[in-house]
Amino acid sequence: MTITILNALIAVVGGVVGAVVLYWILNKLTELLPSKPQELIKPYVFILPAFAALGFYLVYPFFQTVIYSFANRNSTEWVGFDNYTALLGSPGFQTTLINTFLWILIVPTFAIIFGLIIATLADRLRPTGEKISKTLIFLPLAISAVGAVAIWRLVYNAVPANQSQTGVLNAVWTLFGGDPVNWWQISDGKLNSFLLMVILIWTQAGFAMVLLSAAIKGVPTDTLEAARIDGAGEGKIFFSIVIPQIRATMLTVFITVLIGVLKTFDVVYVATNGNFGTNIIALNFYQALFVSRNAGQAAAIVVILMLVIVPFLIYQIRQFRAEEAAR
Amino acid sequence: MRIKSRQGRAIGALLTAGLVTVLTAGCLQQSGDNGGSSASGGADDGTVTIMYGFTDSSSDQFKAEIKKFTDAEGINVKFEPTPDFNTVISTRVSGNSAPDIAIFPQPGIMKSFKDQLTPLTDIVDKSNLDKMVPGIVQAGQIDGQQYALPMSLNIKSIVFYPKGPFEQAGYTAPATLADLETLTNTIKASGTAPWCFGIESASATGWPATDWIENLLLIQSGPEVYNQWVSHEIPFNDPKVVAAADTMNKLLLTEGNVNGGRQSIASNNFATAANPMFNTPPACYMYRQGNFVARDGGFPDTVLSNLDSTVGVFPMPGQTAADKPVLGGGDLASVFNNTENVKKVMNYMASADFGKDWAKANGFISPRTDFDKSNYPNELTKQMAGFAYDSTSFVFDGSDQMPGEVGSGSFWREMTAWISGSEDEKTALDNIQASWPAS
Amino acid sequence: MSQSTTVPPVSNPGQTADPATRALRPRRRKESGGHGEEAGAPAPLWAKIVITVLCLGWILPVFGLAVTSLRDRTDAASSGWWTIFTSPSQLSRLTVQNYVEVFERAPMAQAFVNSLAISIPATIIPILIAAFAAYAFTFMEFPLRNFLLVVVVALLVVPNQVAFAPILNIYGQLGLNGQFVAVWGAHIGFGMSLAIYLIRNYMATLPREILESAKIDGASHFQTFWKLIIPMSVPALASFAIFQFLWVWNDLLVALIFIGPGDNAPLTLALNSLLGQQGQGDQLLTAGAFFTMILPIIVFLSLQRYFVRGLTAGSVKG
Repeated sequence: MTITILNALIAVVGGVVGAVVLYWILNKLTELLPSKPQELIKPYVFILPAFAALGFYLVYPFFQTVIYSFANRNSTEWVGFDNYTALLGSPGFQTTLINTFLWILIVPTFAIIFGLIIATLADRLRPTGEKISKTLIFLPLAISAVGAVAIWRLVYNAVPANQSQTGVLNAVWTLFGGDPVNWWQISDGKLNSFLLMVILIWTQAGFAMVLLSAAIKGVPTDTLEAARIDGAGEGKIFFSIVIPQIRATMLTVFITVLIGVLKTFDVVYVATNGNFGTNIIALNFYQALFVSRNAGQAAAIVVILMLVIVPFLIYQIRQFRAEEAAR
Repeated sequence: MRIKSRQGRAIGALLTAGLVTVLTAGCLQQSGDNGGSSASGGADDGTVTIMYGFTDSSSDQFKAEIKKFTDAEGINVKFEPTPDFNTVISTRVSGNSAPDIAIFPQPGIMKSFKDQLTPLTDIVDKSNLDKMVPGIVQAGQIDGQQYALPMSLNIKSIVFYPKGPFEQAGYTAPATLADLETLTNTIKASGTAPWCFGIESASATGWPATDWIENLLLIQSGPEVYNQWVSHEIPFNDPKVVAAADTMNKLLLTEGNVNGGRQSIASNNFATAANPMFNTPPACYMYRQGNFVARDGGFPDTVLSNLDSTVGVFPMPGQTAADKPVLGGGDLASVFNNTENVKKVMNYMASADFGKDWAKANGFISPRTDFDKSNYPNELTKQMAGFAYDSTSFVFDGSDQMPGEVGSGSFWREMTAWISGSEDEKTALDNIQASWPAS
Repeated sequence: MSQSTTVPPVSNPGQTADPATRALRPRRRKESGGHGEEAGAPAPLWAKIVITVLCLGWILPVFGLAVTSLRDRTDAASSGWWTIFTSPSQLSRLTVQNYVEVFERAPMAQAFVNSLAISIPATIIPILIAAFAAYAFTFMEFPLRNFLLVVVVALLVVPNQVAFAPILNIYGQLGLNGQFVAVWGAHIGFGMSLAIYLIRNYMATLPREILESAKIDGASHFQTFWKLIIPMSVPALASFAIFQFLWVWNDLLVALIFIGPGDNAPLTLALNSLLGQQGQGDQLLTAGAFFTMILPIIVFLSLQRYFVRGLTAGSVKG
């Protein structure tokens, strides 16, 4: 055990110190140059490691993935658009695509809505109350997806009618005379997908709350006072003063949660494995790569996922440019 | 034509080299015990790495069983248990760090690594294989060549019943499939659901239903048809399979035949689905499942502590009383890197000595018919092992042998959809047929 | 720079790591916390009710988990966790057995250490690298700057799944799979664009005058970065640190693919390994899940005061 701890410690210290030393060496090396080229090169030295990491872990794999998506399951032969036509032609994948779109739209939106409600209301509490309520809302963010699903299983679980229910929702439902419902299996109106989204919203709302709360507190008090003196109602103040002031933060939150959603495969994987029409692209990709062992199809799935995100990407860049221009 | 771009690789490698310099310390770690498990590992220091898919207490028992041998032989062994076996083995192989021995829970996955595996021809003595239940040995073959060794065995065509109440009610074990139907109707007429049934198994939900179809197809159409179906020589939705599904429909999905009703099946966990069987009075009388539910984590602890007096078993009956086909499964050990030590460990796993203590701990059934039955801790296990050893034909679980997208994908998924009522039987079978990969 | 460039602190007015930061912070609006308290008007009753209900709703599932983790297997399978309040006889059957078993069956202590060995560098290194890049993007002029910045923003939305297969192959050739470095690298790469984006947003709000005066004093960029900018950016760095830490700590997929089972497996993998292939071990999961939560919560509580201010600075302005 001590050896494990020692090893880990050496790894941690070495890794971090190594990174610092790298910059130090790079900096020393550039300082050997005369001042003119040094000024020219230095910015690139500063961004070089970052772009090396991005290049290696995202840009290169991105191109590699696009290439693989036109090849067969072992990446040994070109197959043209076969992977794409096969995917887009399958009704299962169409459902997956629609679900994914719903996830990246709904989860960030509701995370922001709940975050906003809590941030706004907590802002009016006394500091202790504010701290406690914020901590409680934040708590779920500390739970891994496997744990989160274990928790929500205790809510959504269903057991046969003649036994006592172990899920909260069905306990209440049967109390009012309903038959136990397998919530995760009801695909009508995408109910089960929404119920799974609730899990992610539950964890991400804390994140949204923390950021939005800081933004709300940044709204100048005098502006609010002035509006109050003018006789504006609280609702009007909120929507016409607070919201416009924190719009940029809302966008940051939206993007960050969106990235979280894209990463999320484990919630659906652990809960339903994508059955009952709940599949999403991230999980579908995992299944294609590791269950079907079909590299070509897996690559095509990611490429389609990227196409789905393009509108968000364009909006993000536009917004970013506008922000830069305003600076 | 290989299209993995060489240039891209080179650039990638260059960038990594840069990154590696950043993270020197992490590499120092590598000089420890970790780097060795790659292709050259076995030869380096003689350590044998074994990766397998079962966890919890089975893993401990397995380790102890192997250690007994390797400690005496002075072989170093590294165990790598993972519940995500299929994922991890894929990443290890493509990441060039395959374990020396991999114990596959599914022959279908094993077969997809044919090019990386070493045939067992020169590794495992044939005399060992000859002592095993024939059907399970075949499951380790690819095109007639042995690539995997059955390490353990499980029997899936078993019906459990609550011994006391079952006998008091005057029910007896059926000798034929027709008797089973009669028994089902008799119990139902008494006002209790005849069957317990649950197919929920987290991300593997649906697999218990596939066992039912397979079992009924085996009983009704025989092992030849069964094996043709598994290897897709006949379509997945062949009329014979439809007949099996119809029988399953009649036995289980008829109103009143399952505890909790059809709607409860897909959310009822298979490991605890039989628990109501031990209520007084029982809420259901029969549960068809593998022998492993009679272990820790399956039946309630109170039942497990009095297994022989509370639980009875009979095999899923054949068409005739003389017909005793058995559906089963097992873990298959394959070799990625052959060394002398690996060879020793493999032959030990194939021997009749392997698994004695594990069996005594109620966790193991040997694939060898000459395994000393007195090692089994209770009458129930002896009985169940006997079903396999005395079978007229033993076939390996079909879904485990089919390609991953069917056997661990559409088959589970469509069975679940059918049972939960969101699809009809024909659509489900047709969809599975359509999902069979082209090549 | 238009309005308030820095968000006023929330619960600990004026408290930051470096006193210099306080002095340097431009045009601070007010020192107090929320808007509610200084107006003298306590929160209306409905607001209190709404927030109480929300908090209860949020915490109730966690509470259910806590209770379930203390029940024995048969109880947990046969009745809901709330029944311990309706049938007190169960209270006597509460047990820590699940926790004991978790530690017996999985190498939790080692996994805990491994999780730390993975999470700490995978949090600190990307922050360091991103801070350098953010500094260059904020305070240095160079050709292609805006283009490269847009590249970073674009990469925000490239899903990290693209990297699995190609990186796995390269790692395989280098023999890196299963090493801590393998996951560090992956998390550094995957978290980099968000880190640069957020940290740069914050740095852009720092007053440029400081930089000018540092230049006059003859400080190099490297010195300015370490001595001035890093201390002033602590809130942003700490905020990103928390979220990156939580992502890495709770990550299952990257660890599964690049580390897998074995001596280096982190807590998420150990927790997952409690689930038997045949579905046993559900009850252990509850105890295991609780155990893995402890550290992140401590981290959150101890760093809370920084990150309520950090991330949004810069994006606060309208």
